[in-house]
Amino acid sequence: MSSTTTTAPAKHKSISYAKWGYFFIAPFVIVYLFCSLIPLLSTFYNSLFENYMDGLKQIGPNFVGLQNFISIFTPRSSDGKMEIFSYTGNTMIMWVMGAVPQIVFALLLAVIFTSERMKIKGQGFFKTVIYMPNLIMASAFAMLFFQIFSSVGPINQIITANGGSAFLFFDNEWSARTIIAFINFLMWFGNTTILLMAGIMGIDQSLFEAASIDGANSTQVFFRITIPLLMPIIIYVVITALIGGLQMFDVPQIITSGKGNPSNTTKTLVMALNGYIGLSKNYGMAGAYSFFLFIVTGALSVLVFKSTEPKKEKKGGKK
Amino acid sequence: MKKRITSALLASAVILSVAGCGGTTTPASTTAAAPAATEAAATEAAATEAAATEAAATEEAAPAANTDNSGTVFNIRAWNEEFKGFFEKYMPGYDASAQTLDGVPVVWTIVPSDDLAYQNALDEALQKNASASADDKVDMFLAEADYILKYTDSDFTMDIANLGVNQVDTEYQYTVSAASDSNGKIKGVSFQCCPSALIYRRSIAKDVLGTDDPDQVQAALDSWAKYDDVAKQAKDKGYYMHASFAETYRVFSNNADGAWVTGGQLTIPAVVDQWTEQAKTYFDNGYILDTCPGIWDDGKNAEMFATGKTMCFFGPAWYFNFCMGNAQDPDNGCFGDWAICKGPQGHFWGGTWILAATGTDNGDLVAKVMKAFTENEEVCENLIVNEGQFTNNKKVNEKFANDPSFGVDFLGGQNATAVFCGMTDSIKWENATIYDQACNEGYQNFIKTYINGTTTKEASLADFYTYINEKYPAVQTP
Repeated sequence: MSSTTTTAPAKHKSISYAKWGYFFIAPFVIVYLFCSLIPLLSTFYNSLFENYMDGLKQIGPNFVGLQNFISIFTPRSSDGKMEIFSYTGNTMIMWVMGAVPQIVFALLLAVIFTSERMKIKGQGFFKTVIYMPNLIMASAFAMLFFQIFSSVGPINQIITANGGSAFLFFDNEWSARTIIAFINFLMWFGNTTILLMAGIMGIDQSLFEAASIDGANSTQVFFRITIPLLMPIIIYVVITALIGGLQMFDVPQIITSGKGNPSNTTKTLVMALNGYIGLSKNYGMAGAYSFFLFIVTGALSVLVFKSTEPKKEKKGGKK
Repeated sequence: MKKRITSALLASAVILSVAGCGGTTTPASTTAAAPAATEAAATEAAATEAAATEAAATEEAAPAANTDNSGTVFNIRAWNEEFKGFFEKYMPGYDASAQTLDGVPVVWTIVPSDDLAYQNALDEALQKNASASADDKVDMFLAEADYILKYTDSDFTMDIANLGVNQVDTEYQYTVSAASDSNGKIKGVSFQCCPSALIYRRSIAKDVLGTDDPDQVQAALDSWAKYDDVAKQAKDKGYYMHASFAETYRVFSNNADGAWVTGGQLTIPAVVDQWTEQAKTYFDNGYILDTCPGIWDDGKNAEMFATGKTMCFFGPAWYFNFCMGNAQDPDNGCFGDWAICKGPQGHFWGGTWILAATGTDNGDLVAKVMKAFTENEEVCENLIVNEGQFTNNKKVNEKFANDPSFGVDFLGGQNATAVFCGMTDSIKWENATIYDQACNEGYQNFIKTYINGTTTKEASLADFYTYINEKYPAVQTP
């Protein structure tokens, strides 16, 4: 009797499913550890050193504490401009210019493609076509647009043939930024469309039916049903686009030969980082830039999460 | 019960697969990691103990390389296809179909020089040369005037005397000085001499100056004051004096009285500032294209078509083939409508030097290439006759310069070699620093917005200083 009472709870204790959980998450943890966490920490560690090449001469590594962080936040002596903020500004401006139309356009396409009323034929074809730009290398895109908008390119040939004078798209900060934003938009709207379509298709069809029986028009259905229920997906899309946008590099790098022309107005944070890691192999400054980028990305992600959380709770409470 | 069995089965399958993976990967990854770690340690050590270890390493390597010809691949690094083209056409012993030189396969690694990418890639390769596998060792590389000092004044290049290349007296002195390190050891040879001339459109010169004769055009353009006057006349007739805002940059910058960087401090040479003001005036007055193109831009190159309205360009002999493709276009070009003269100021531009990388395992082949393109008269003659080059062999150049029957069809039969021969004395080689490419390229890039009126000069200079700080953290900028 006593033996059975003592063994039964022991048996029960030994059945723990937690370890299977650990087994299943182990691959992720290992990959995360070696591919994300350790590089992140070593980047921070590197940012504490003066370590660069002066021509073919290695300087350092000498421990300098937070000197690299101090110097990236020191306004330059020549005109008092804080470079890191202007690069962050450039990055965000070009991201917003590309991402806003990207999400609006993708949402529109996603609604059209999933609409039960329209039942568009040849969806597979259209989906492929809108996703296609994403398969082209960003550098190829950049080269193509560079040629199209160059001073002797087809656009300027059209302008001059009609009696205008050539417009230098890459010498004007707004036209250069617009072209870069447009390329990013073109490359990513297909991807966003597919994500949003998946989100819309996940919404219970009976809700749309119920709405139409109740006499709701398309606008009402869109704003009262599609958008609220799609919010989690939209947030996901915005966050991933934002993180991708902060790391904007390839298109402006290629289009401006790494110089961020005109006058550093298209120079993004990662281009600046790349500038430091290039010839000078300035791991200290590049590390400081990377860490700044990490903090900004982290902060923005938290901000987006926080800004959406309370709404959800309120809704849940009302129910 | 069934569920339990399946879950147990699944779990054991996962364990087995994980264990299986672990069993095979663990030894593999440790063995892979070990050499990687030691290699990293080795390169780090080499980098940090710079002076001592490297000096020792090169001293060991240098005499060995003198006799080391064990290489089975001949690795050459360059930033464009120019020399590769000459090499493949004229190099004695080169088999074009097999792409081998004396039976050794030739491998080219070409990285464009824009935004210092060539230097960047080359530095990495040279630093790894000692530990690189035999087939990956850089044997020979090309360097340009703007940064040759960086390599000659380092242990990554070899004294060419060790390779058996001694005959430099046929070469122009500035090309030898440029290739010498601070102790006077010669580290390389140039296959071209690059006095840079004023290249003008004959038909436009006739319209503006009333003559296309090189001597008379030279007389009309032999000072900046006269040049400015002619620019105005050209504008009045609907022409541009030159196309790019940076067209005359090298005329000024390669005549500088001071270096870009002295004692770790960046100073803009006075002549560069003069150029800036000239370029600004020319843009404001409409003497150059209103699109204000850079020196390599398509907008500028389009001016070399027959429809172009630009009178003057500046460039050395390499410019004809390398930059004037549009002028030689059979349909839209203006072949033969060109001529050259010295212009307002003698100067040089560019030039390609051949350097031997320390640690080469094809020492004899490197020496053979160096000799072929400087001493071999047949190769040099081919470069002049077929390629329009101005070689680094005085004797051959002078032979053509003194030959009244020799002329270049592209230049309407003018003897370009004679003009270039008369300009070699005005080449000024001093004040070179290892920072020149970044300074020249960066300055032209960032000052452009001041010249075309979009920013102030201060803002342009501030951007330029930032660029230099990025590339050279040790250099102090104003």
